[in-house]
Amino acid sequence: MAIGSRALATADLRGAGRLARAREWWEQEHVFGYGLILPAFVLLACLVAYPFGMAIYFSLSDYWVGSPGAFVGFANFRDIFGNEVFLQTVRNSFVFTAIALTCKAVLGVWLALLLVRNLRGKRLLRGAVLLPWVIPTALSTLGWQWMFDSLYSVVNWTAIHTGLISAPGPNWLGMSGYAMAAVITVNVWRGLPFFAITVLAGLVSIPREYYEAAEVDGASSFERFWHVTLPLLKPVLAVVLLFSTIFTFNDFNIVYVLTRGGPVNSTHLFATLAYQTGLAGGNLGQGAAISLFMLPMLGLVVFFQLRYIRRE
Amino acid sequence: MTVRLSRRRFLTTSARAVAGASALAAMPAPALAQKRELTFLSWNHFVPASDDELRKQAEAFSKQAGVSVRVDTIAHLQLDAKFAAEAQSQSGHDMIRTHGAVPFLFESQLAEVGDVVDKLGKQYGGWYPFAAESCQAKSGWRAVPWFWISFPATYNMAHFKKAGLEYPKTWAELVQHGRVLKKQGNPVGIAISHCGDAITTYWSIAWCYGAKVLETDGKTPGINSDKTAQVIEYYKELYKDAMDPEVLSWDDASNNRGILSGKYSWIHNPISPYNAALKEKMPIADDINHHPSPGGPAGIHSAPPLLGLGIWKFSKNVDVAKEFIQFLFRKENFDAWIVASNAFNHPPLRHLADHPIWARNPKFAMLPKEAEYAHPRGWPAKPNDAVGRLEANYTMIDMVAKAVNGMPTRRAMEWGQEQVALALKGQLKASG
Repeated sequence: MAIGSRALATADLRGAGRLARAREWWEQEHVFGYGLILPAFVLLACLVAYPFGMAIYFSLSDYWVGSPGAFVGFANFRDIFGNEVFLQTVRNSFVFTAIALTCKAVLGVWLALLLVRNLRGKRLLRGAVLLPWVIPTALSTLGWQWMFDSLYSVVNWTAIHTGLISAPGPNWLGMSGYAMAAVITVNVWRGLPFFAITVLAGLVSIPREYYEAAEVDGASSFERFWHVTLPLLKPVLAVVLLFSTIFTFNDFNIVYVLTRGGPVNSTHLFATLAYQTGLAGGNLGQGAAISLFMLPMLGLVVFFQLRYIRRE
Repeated sequence: MTVRLSRRRFLTTSARAVAGASALAAMPAPALAQKRELTFLSWNHFVPASDDELRKQAEAFSKQAGVSVRVDTIAHLQLDAKFAAEAQSQSGHDMIRTHGAVPFLFESQLAEVGDVVDKLGKQYGGWYPFAAESCQAKSGWRAVPWFWISFPATYNMAHFKKAGLEYPKTWAELVQHGRVLKKQGNPVGIAISHCGDAITTYWSIAWCYGAKVLETDGKTPGINSDKTAQVIEYYKELYKDAMDPEVLSWDDASNNRGILSGKYSWIHNPISPYNAALKEKMPIADDINHHPSPGGPAGIHSAPPLLGLGIWKFSKNVDVAKEFIQFLFRKENFDAWIVASNAFNHPPLRHLADHPIWARNPKFAMLPKEAEYAHPRGWPAKPNDAVGRLEANYTMIDMVAKAVNGMPTRRAMEWGQEQVALALKGQLKASG
């Protein structure tokens, strides 16, 4: 085909001139730039913007699976607020996110500080740390499900045999508090590598001179961390926290595989409740309302954190 | 300058690629894809050999009818989402394996199959009433009842013998026996958690005590009653005296593991643990036996899962699908399929239920009888989308779990009533 067009170009000089003009037009900075962005934009529009727009439309309509509904305004939002299960889910989500995020931030910085040292097998170690992040969540969570199993829990078995707890040990997925602890543990386990590796990148970029200067001034290792490392890590930390907040709030796999929202809805998060209501229960409108509920709040978080980062 | 050159090369290359791709797309589709294809979305059967037999029969049908048949199987828990997506996009498979309230949830989306149902009913001595009720919506038959899964009690005879006990005939007896058995180190177990077995057992116990969730009209909440209070009290007693707290975290496989581990003396479940023990040649298979689901003051009732065959209205192969369904119901095919499932698939038609596989094994002999006292979920109301929603939300189980965890029975029941009302509200809005 290309040969054909080239032959055509040589045969028809006027055609060649037009081709050259088109090329010139195309190679202008602003045309070419947008041209390059276009594929990504189309992809985003189809796979993100369109479903998002549909979700907003669903949430404002009386939409059931397979049967389009009428516009009902904010009725779905009023309805979910009248449902105790939803209010419990809101509480769960905040508890889940707050605890998981704190653990991930503290442990993540700690792990990064360990990884930045010049240890033997540093690369292998850094690679290995990423494993929980790399393994498909549903799969690794199934492994955790076995570890928390009521009958064959390896966690309990180990704790009982080392004398840490007395038999039969906690019923991990059957009691509200323990179940929440279990899903948080898995979330932290899974999210930690992302934190650690990103913070590690931040750590590596801190110039050594600052530490040397601090050492000369007689700063202790904690003081060096507090006055040098932490302030310089802030921009990186802010970005990681931002991403992690969104990931954690929107978690689905872990809860769905481990507890399916149980016991008595004590581990339901927005995504799992939205799935249960919208897809399993057929009430797409309410399901969409539940999943969109967090949007304004996450929007605010994003806004403030991005503003903070820019100011830095 | 170099940038310009490479840019140009990039552009010509991509232009060629695009041209090539569009030329490919414009080519006529290969002849292979033009052959008619019937597609069927089913589940990963708990007895995989059953799916193998199904595929074999599909193959036979495709040779005979000149239509290729594709059977796709996915995890049963993913079916709901898949159905929703297919109905929403009006595309996907031709046939689906329905369960629970699916024929009612998708009443407007599924093709009427009354003609097939009538023909098969006449041929095989009639449908069991619960099977018919599970697939017949107001506007007509939205699925052909395919098979049901017996839900008897499974018990460890050695544990009962050691305690000097017979198997329990009623739920009340189960508590009495359970007390002794738990002391012996062999608790009984029914799930009180977000899983399918928990729901099936709830219906059975509730009906045996005369309780219901919806009134007969299907539009009025009926869960708040003294009968339900009795049911909740029953659960509390059973939980405290005869079970271990782990039932609060069980999934559908936990009770199977529980009885196969030799710890549990009694569970309420399909016959899969016994079949698994046989297959794996576990010595415990000799000790495991089944008995009919227990009864109560209001008689004996059961809610065995019934699965059906539905055809999407948007399908272009409705007639072929109907032929395929009838092909599956040919006596020789259905019998082979029962055998492949090792007595797991129970026919919803009386004459097909005569198969010797049940009579031959004393541990299976009482299984087919369950069809006589079975009901679709939601009974005495007709199955409807609200019931489907209540099951999807585990409402009844959560009500029981709340009470078992210390919430006063009345309050738990009021919470249940509130949730039932919410599920109904959605339904009325949908149909209005």
